[in-house]
Amino acid sequence: MGKYITKRLLHGIFSVIAVVIIVMILIYGLMSRNRIFAGDAVFTKQANNNREIYRYQKWEEYGYLDYVPYADYLIELTKNGEIDEDTRSKAVALGRTADKDSETTAEYVEKFTKYYESQGYTVKRCDAVTLAGRVAQGGSPQLYAYRDHPLIRRLVKYFTGLITIDNIHKVPAENDIGKRGLTFTLHDPVYGGEKFSPAIIGNGTYHKYLLYVDSHFPYIHQNFYNINLGLSYSINQGVDVYTTMTRSQGPYVTGPVTYPTGLHAESADDLHTATYLAGSLEKGTVLYSQLFTDDYTVIDTNKSGYSKLGYSFIIGIISVIMAYVLGLPIGLLMSRHKDGFIDKLGTVYIVFIIAVPSLAYIFLFKSLGGTLFHLPTSFNLDTTSKLIYVLPIVSLALPSVANLMKWMRRYMIDQMNSDYVKFARSGGLSETEIFTKHVWKNAVIPIVHGVPGSVIFSMTGAIITERVYVVPGAGGLLTNAINAYDNGVIVGVTMFYAVLSVVSIILGDVLMSMVDPRISFTTKAR
Amino acid sequence: MSEENKKFGLTDEELFTRINHNDLESEKITAPRYSYWKSVFRVFFRNKINIIVLSLLVILILMAYLYPTFVHYDQFENLLIDGGKHLSPSKAMKFYGPSIKWILGAGGSGQSTWEAIWDGSRISISLAFICAAINMTVGVIVGAIWGFSKRVDIIMTEVYNIVGNVPMILLVSVLAMLFTASFWTMVFALTVTGWIGIAYFIRTQVVIIRDREYNLASRCLGTSTFKIAIKNILPFMTSVVVTLLATEIPSYISTEVFLAYIGMGMSEMSLGRLIFSAEVSMVTPGWQFEFWSPVAISSIITVVLYVVGQNLGDASDPRTHM
Repeated sequence: MGKYITKRLLHGIFSVIAVVIIVMILIYGLMSRNRIFAGDAVFTKQANNNREIYRYQKWEEYGYLDYVPYADYLIELTKNGEIDEDTRSKAVALGRTADKDSETTAEYVEKFTKYYESQGYTVKRCDAVTLAGRVAQGGSPQLYAYRDHPLIRRLVKYFTGLITIDNIHKVPAENDIGKRGLTFTLHDPVYGGEKFSPAIIGNGTYHKYLLYVDSHFPYIHQNFYNINLGLSYSINQGVDVYTTMTRSQGPYVTGPVTYPTGLHAESADDLHTATYLAGSLEKGTVLYSQLFTDDYTVIDTNKSGYSKLGYSFIIGIISVIMAYVLGLPIGLLMSRHKDGFIDKLGTVYIVFIIAVPSLAYIFLFKSLGGTLFHLPTSFNLDTTSKLIYVLPIVSLALPSVANLMKWMRRYMIDQMNSDYVKFARSGGLSETEIFTKHVWKNAVIPIVHGVPGSVIFSMTGAIITERVYVVPGAGGLLTNAINAYDNGVIVGVTMFYAVLSVVSIILGDVLMSMVDPRISFTTKAR
Repeated sequence: MSEENKKFGLTDEELFTRINHNDLESEKITAPRYSYWKSVFRVFFRNKINIIVLSLLVILILMAYLYPTFVHYDQFENLLIDGGKHLSPSKAMKFYGPSIKWILGAGGSGQSTWEAIWDGSRISISLAFICAAINMTVGVIVGAIWGFSKRVDIIMTEVYNIVGNVPMILLVSVLAMLFTASFWTMVFALTVTGWIGIAYFIRTQVVIIRDREYNLASRCLGTSTFKIAIKNILPFMTSVVVTLLATEIPSYISTEVFLAYIGMGMSEMSLGRLIFSAEVSMVTPGWQFEFWSPVAISSIITVVLYVVGQNLGDASDPRTHM
């Protein structure tokens, strides 16, 4: 069994990689890279050459290319001691056009061009943009070299960067942060240093708290390893998709907090999430020096709502449970009274759900629920009423109920004609006994296969349901990312879905072989 | 003779007559004539509901395809008329004068909702039929080969696992960006990977039937694979294919509605686009007609197509021909 699952997992990993390759070809290969700026407000504010430079900076940041501005090249030369500061400052001043360069500048521009062109870069020069004889806003001349990343490099980088393990050498060696190391404490300083609460605090690590306990699910948290699915550009700029999906939302929740300086305050800051940002304590406002003693200043806040995955999962899992609790018995009943009234009514319902576009009946439920039962029809993070969950759950459960009814009925009827049923009947068993003891157990086996899938996929959320009821879930993430050309998010979410689907199929097979001893994956196929 | 018959109350027809023996005649084997498709339609039309639903389908298709040719529909013809937008049927009749055109009121740019839904239906139905035709043809052929050849099976299963995990909305949006978001781009986007699901379904069916005893017997007797596929397996698949078609055609209409709703539809005013653009009207009092009309018509079309297809699928199963 173990060997079989390993083999399946390897196959699964292969498919996931292939899916990511296809998606990357689709969005990085076929789509214009200018599209990523569509929703960027900063980009639209930039003018002339500055806009060009901004473009290349962002492209470098998001892994499209290597980008070297001329000035950086000169700084590098100065650091290596090839030129002195004086020459550098002379050489860095570009003329408005190439023939207006000073002699020193021309010499180094020549060197720069030669050096980077030999490395396979494209060197580009933007002449000054002038307006009435003066350099226009953002129109100063620019010189830079860039080289596109091949897809394979991006792919390798993506997969090697998927999981990062935090260690005490994460902060670059040139930053002086005192003694690096991990300390274990039984009394977490965030709670004032008296309450018993174990924590592992690191210095030199990216996260300050590597292990801590708090009052939120799942109570014990770790930061030793982190999952990076892909950096967002426009959905949630600079934040990883995984963080976007798992970070809590809604109004702030304040509570007593003890800052590293010893300051007690009522705040929503979640000090456990502190991460390192070089020089942030110095550059920050006066407030920072009152709160923090080191550069671990980037913190998240406590919010009352669940995360995107959380909302989707709550709605999803309840509707899945409802679907199985309702769908299986009704399907059973339909097969029991085949061609009877219940069967016909159930069939009408199944036809309705299958044939009518899902959008249509979700809207129908929304307007019915809103007008007849006065249920809230759109989500509001500020309310605490649980009634807002009702309509999304019902809308999500009803189609699954129909689906399960359909298959349960089908499998039951298929089993009814088996020899063992005839034998049981001839043995004098009552119909109820045959149904509940024999047929049901056999008919449910193919349905068991889908259980892990429906549970796992309940957290990805349903696109239409969440959109119609304004649920802040994960369902709309992919469509939003596609609409905003947020390529990092697209890759991340697709990869996430692909992993879930691979895992759920394998789990389904395992569960099926556990339920039905006749199914074995270890012996060779007959 | 007849006197005697009358006495017993018998007529002439009831009596035996002598027929001469014919050697040639006795060699003939007679059985009731059986034509497959005739039986299919006999079974199909035996159910009165099918006749009603089929005539409804014919009316819908005629309305969708013929109505726009008789009446020129221009979405923006009343755009500049003040007060002619978002009207309920009664107000629209009062404003524009009584006509069947305003039976469902006026939409956001003063267009007739009645005409808009038929125009949209034409686009949506065309999309569904074209996509279904392409996907079913490719899917059934590939699925048959997939099911027969074990070598193809290994490769195709891997391809299926990969392609099945590429989100369809991503594919649609990338293609819409590369080309324009036109009708044919949508057809391309829905068919470029859409056939693989059908092929997988057919493959499973072929695998089930492939190793049945009667095929084994055929093979032992030296029948070629091609002949087995055509004569032994294809007849078995007819009802499966028809049933599949019944779910496929409406599913493209639903998919199109779904894609349009999340903002990835085509530029033509299909039913999906109508629903998408009238979404705000759902909650505005007096505007509901613009929203619910396309929703209702798309539901009716899909249900009718589904019911006709399912019952045709049932009828094409030879076991129901008794």
